[in-house]
Amino acid sequence: MEQVTLYDMINNPFNFVSFRLIFIYTVLLGLSVSLVLMFLYFTTARDIELEADQKIIKKVEDLNNIYLRFREQGLFNYIRRETSRATLDIYRLYDSDDNYLAGNILTELEDIKNNDDGWLEFSYKVSENGKDRIFYGRGRELITPRQNFRLIVGRVVNDEKVLKERFFYSSLWSILLILFLGVFGGYFLSRNFLKRISDINRTSKKIMDGNLKERLPISRGKDELNELSSNLNDMLDRLDTLMSNMKEVTDNVAHDLRTPLNRIRTNLEITLMSNPNLEEYKKSFEEAINETDNLIKTFNSILSISKVESGASDLDKSELNLKELIINMHDLYEPITEGSGIKLNYEVTENIVIKGNYNLLSQSLANLIENAVNYGSTNIDPTINVGAKQTDDKISLWVSDNGVGINDQDKEKVIERFVRLDTSRSLKGSGLGLNLVKSAVRFHEGKFQLIDAKPSGLIVLIELPNCS
Amino acid sequence: MHILLIEDDDTTASYLTKGLKESGYVVDRAQDGVEGLFMSMDAKFDALIVDRMLPRLDGLSLIKKLRKENSEIPIIILSALGDVDERIKGLKYGADDYLAKPFSFSELLARLEAVIRRNHNETDNSVLQLGDLKLDLLSRRVEREGQLIDLQPREYKLLEFLLRRPNQVVTRTMLLEGVWEYHFDPQTNVIDVHISRLRSKIDKPFKGKQMLFTERGAGYALRYDK
Repeated sequence: MEQVTLYDMINNPFNFVSFRLIFIYTVLLGLSVSLVLMFLYFTTARDIELEADQKIIKKVEDLNNIYLRFREQGLFNYIRRETSRATLDIYRLYDSDDNYLAGNILTELEDIKNNDDGWLEFSYKVSENGKDRIFYGRGRELITPRQNFRLIVGRVVNDEKVLKERFFYSSLWSILLILFLGVFGGYFLSRNFLKRISDINRTSKKIMDGNLKERLPISRGKDELNELSSNLNDMLDRLDTLMSNMKEVTDNVAHDLRTPLNRIRTNLEITLMSNPNLEEYKKSFEEAINETDNLIKTFNSILSISKVESGASDLDKSELNLKELIINMHDLYEPITEGSGIKLNYEVTENIVIKGNYNLLSQSLANLIENAVNYGSTNIDPTINVGAKQTDDKISLWVSDNGVGINDQDKEKVIERFVRLDTSRSLKGSGLGLNLVKSAVRFHEGKFQLIDAKPSGLIVLIELPNCS
Repeated sequence: MHILLIEDDDTTASYLTKGLKESGYVVDRAQDGVEGLFMSMDAKFDALIVDRMLPRLDGLSLIKKLRKENSEIPIIILSALGDVDERIKGLKYGADDYLAKPFSFSELLARLEAVIRRNHNETDNSVLQLGDLKLDLLSRRVEREGQLIDLQPREYKLLEFLLRRPNQVVTRTMLLEGVWEYHFDPQTNVIDVHISRLRSKIDKPFKGKQMLFTERGAGYALRYDK
């Protein structure tokens, strides 16, 4: 995927998950705020109206009482008296011919709306310093039954109207502001977020293009995106290790298998050239078969190491007794060591039960014993000890000899694949023995080290966690 | 002895056929799993050699189907997958033995003979005997020419393994698997030393003929010629 640009975002903001989410979120927030404000508005406005209406209704009752007692004249006097002082009440009294008799509004009422519920809404102009000011009123109309006088009683509702309008407009603005902030804030927030995603995308693309050492950027803080990047980086590291292992193996295989293959080929070719008799043919073929057998053994070792190295989950672990394992190994190798004048001892007293892979552990022990037999038997009185011991937190397993040992600078080297020290080059072997031990120990989550024995020799010490 | 070889690779098949014919077997070949299953229903075969990866029906499924039909024919699987786990899987599906490629032909021959013989003479006898060599499974006594032979436990197991396969070639790998239950190739000739120890106890002290032979390029055999 290409890098996300501002241009893309402005043209096609809905292509981006974060923007889409923020937009939806903002719209929902705007809607709910509007609902709340509308509710507040209607209840408040209703309250204000009700309060004004109560006063008018009261006034209408008063006027009714006055009319019942003093008729039209009483109303007229009352209105004259009321309008002689400043009041928010509005009175306009007409006779049956619609002549204006008394009241406190001098101009005609305009925009009279006769609501169905008996309420009138109207406005009127008052000149103040040469300017017309519009007042709004609300009231009721009374008709006297005898002389058909018409009386409009009401109140100025300018303040209420202004309050309502302010409320309405401030609500409207709040909603618009929320929407605006939401959309643009979301846009900027998501741009920041998208920038990080596009960084990840860009790095992934680099890695895909073959730049395998690249790693995803991790910014400060601990959030999901960082966690994702860090997990992906870990995954890349693991893959990288596997890849370089594989490359190393391939290189080594190419190099180390070429020599025996070349020997086989030359041998067969020369046999063909030299007009051999049947015996010579047989001899040559047998040599070739032996060489291929060794090649096959090497291949098998590589395969088992690779399988263990890749952490193959189908290698199963089961309960096994190290004491039994060591005694069996001793039993297998004792005759051959005895034949070469080597003492093979085992040092294990108690049963040590662990969960492990029987085949891997026995092969590791076999490799170590064979190494000791092949390279560690230079002493006049060569001795090899195989043993195991358990403490509370770990299980130790060792094979030691009293040969010449290994120099410190070579200790790291011998564990690598196909590495054979000059001293051992003349002896047969694939150079994979210790590497398999290393992989097997790693598979069992243990450690393994080469230690100098006193006064001479080598101890290979394997330490496994004691899980029991 | 009539063998059915189910193998899709022509070159491998032709080598194996040639080798098996040289060794005195009659060989028919099937090219894929379906053909192999069909042909193996014929009762004339004494054993099957089945490649693990086959077109149309893989080796394991073929064996499973055959065993479901109550066929008890000895079967050896050949496979490029050489892990112990794969081996266990193969045996669980009903194969009698499992051989990882690349294998030596003598290994195949020895194992083929072993599975065929096993089928023919499973004995419940508590005494294994070959010539004047006797092994009593109950008292764990071994004697030759009427003389008691003192064997170490492992030597006893080794001899028992050989006596159960009289006059047959057994390979070093078969011994390592059968007697020690190890599934790896030691780089050294450990087995040879064990055999020569056994030989020094059951052959050398006796006037009679040699019984424990080394089969060049293949392994060992316990033989008795009248």
